[in-house]
Amino acid sequence: MYTKQTELKNISGLHARPASEFVAMAKSFESAVTVRRLDDPEAKAVNAKSIIKILSQGIAVGTPIEIAADGPDEETAVEKLIAMVDSKFGED
Amino acid sequence: MQKKGEQMRILKGNPVSPGLALASIYIYKAFKADVHESYFPAGQEEEHFLKFKDAIEMAEKELNEIVTSMSAESPDKAKIFTAHTEILLDEEIEEGVREMIYESHAMPDYAVDEVFSEFAKLLEKAKDPLIAARAADLRDVRNRVLRILKGEKENNLSSLRENCIVVAHDLLPSDTATMDRQRVMGIITEVGGATSHTAILARGYKIPAVLGVKDATEILNNGDNVILDALKGTVLVEPDKDTIEVYRQKLVEYIQEERQTSEYLDRIPLVASGERYSVGLNIGGTEPEEGFKYVDYVGLFRTEFLYMGSEYMPTEEEQFQAYRKVLANAMGNPVTLRTLDIGGDKTLKYMALPKEDNPFLGNRALRLCLQHMDMFRTQLRAALRASAFGNLQIMFPMVGTMDDIRAANKVVAEVKAELRAEGIAFDERVKVGIMIEIPSIALISDQAVKEVDFGSVGTNDLTQYLHAVDRMNPAITDYYHSMSPAMFRVLGKVFEEYNKAGKEISVCGELAGDHMAALVMFGLGLRKFSMNASNIARVKRTLSLFTLEEAKEIAKKVLNLATQAEVIEFVKGEIEKKN
Repeated sequence: MYTKQTELKNISGLHARPASEFVAMAKSFESAVTVRRLDDPEAKAVNAKSIIKILSQGIAVGTPIEIAADGPDEETAVEKLIAMVDSKFGED
Repeated sequence: MQKKGEQMRILKGNPVSPGLALASIYIYKAFKADVHESYFPAGQEEEHFLKFKDAIEMAEKELNEIVTSMSAESPDKAKIFTAHTEILLDEEIEEGVREMIYESHAMPDYAVDEVFSEFAKLLEKAKDPLIAARAADLRDVRNRVLRILKGEKENNLSSLRENCIVVAHDLLPSDTATMDRQRVMGIITEVGGATSHTAILARGYKIPAVLGVKDATEILNNGDNVILDALKGTVLVEPDKDTIEVYRQKLVEYIQEERQTSEYLDRIPLVASGERYSVGLNIGGTEPEEGFKYVDYVGLFRTEFLYMGSEYMPTEEEQFQAYRKVLANAMGNPVTLRTLDIGGDKTLKYMALPKEDNPFLGNRALRLCLQHMDMFRTQLRAALRASAFGNLQIMFPMVGTMDDIRAANKVVAEVKAELRAEGIAFDERVKVGIMIEIPSIALISDQAVKEVDFGSVGTNDLTQYLHAVDRMNPAITDYYHSMSPAMFRVLGKVFEEYNKAGKEISVCGELAGDHMAALVMFGLGLRKFSMNASNIARVKRTLSLFTLEEAKEIAKKVLNLATQAEVIEFVKGEIEKKN
């Protein structure tokens, strides 16, 4: 298991296009990947390969999240997804 | 008592996409999934799961075909179906269905219905209305899969034989997106509001739409002739000849007018002699409206929706999140947040306010806030915290005296000190200003301007208080003269004082969005006009026709006319001369 934390920096958050791209990237890895909101103690880790689960979290700009992966490519998966979030999905 | 012949029937609803249409009715009934809880005997798991997988494959094929056929012409609409494919192939959905089939022996249609409904509910719970609206996409995909499982062909609005007005209980995103736009003259549905999928798409296609017409599919019949007035929100059923003639004329004028005006929407706001002015947007929610693209600022952000739509006093955090979202929508442009304006005609469920004989002259807006300090401070804290994330200005409604200004400014200073002590970030230079809607503060603008950062005129209340006309009383609407010479004299004085002091002055009331009044006010020195998105194109168009000198001349004449009727006749004439 490999985990890392970051914060959503793009204005539209994990909605619409960014959410689709995030899920598509997560799907490209063999490992199981999850996302968890850190600002809500009751939030559960959700499947990062499910667009519906990701959208249902309503992750807006400024929300701290943790990305976790478990599997053969866990480190690459987390690092690449973090890099994608931190690049603001190309916004602004 | 009895009238000859049958009276024309009029149905009412929400006009969500403006326009007019005269056509016959086409009642559209989408595939209706009739799913019952049902199970199969053990041992057939594999067979049923394969049925499900085949349906998914078929649905994917259908969606790909739609995307391919739409990509060239309307890439925006094609995106809806790309999103549907994503949902269709969501692995959590497949997992849920697999579990129900293998473990509970649920029939595939029952399993699909259950799993999609559960996920749709999950999205509906999201606070963001845009995410909640995506539950409609989930239902749409579910219907597609259920239809395929039943072996039925796709039934949609893509091949209509004649021009018609579509009537349905509700339209799903796939219905509206594949709809034959050449043939659909209008849309009527029984459910849906201004932010529903149907409304957004109807506006995108520029198809007149009236939603929320109760029992429309029951009352109307295929082939009925109707006039759809999506400017007013009415449906006239089987109108008589005279009514048809009147509407035919209106329709021709409306189309001409629209075509000419819409070209101005994204123009730079300039008058004929080249002077630039600013156009602002009035909003009352957190939706990222299209209007943000065409404006320089948000001149009025009403915050009542947070309070009136809630069962309890909204928390600081809830308000903070909402304000931040609006700042993000504004893309860096200034947003003028008006603090809570309740009392008068607006009340809160969870706050008992004593009944007043003259509520509009009573304990409302800032007056009320200054008496409910906890509520006021909470809002100011949320607003100031949000100011760290964009360009925020704070504005107080119902300011009548210098005492009001000083009392409100004092609370702002205290809240700022509190935040500083707690080490919470906010914009130290956040501007604080007032609504100018009570004549007593308008008339001492020279003094008020010294203690505020900006002013913004609320012309609706200013009219009400200047003319002593309760704007909620239908018996005296003829006395409500927002374009009277008296109004323009007061406005002229306000603009002059604020301009002289070098402080921002804006108008955010109805008058700013009225192209005739906007012209006069430009002549009186106003350079900031904040309005609803629907008025932007028209105001830009009218102002573009006049030079600064001409506008000044017009304003000068208006100040010396005697009645509102004279003002309107004169300004209308000047605009017609230019067209």
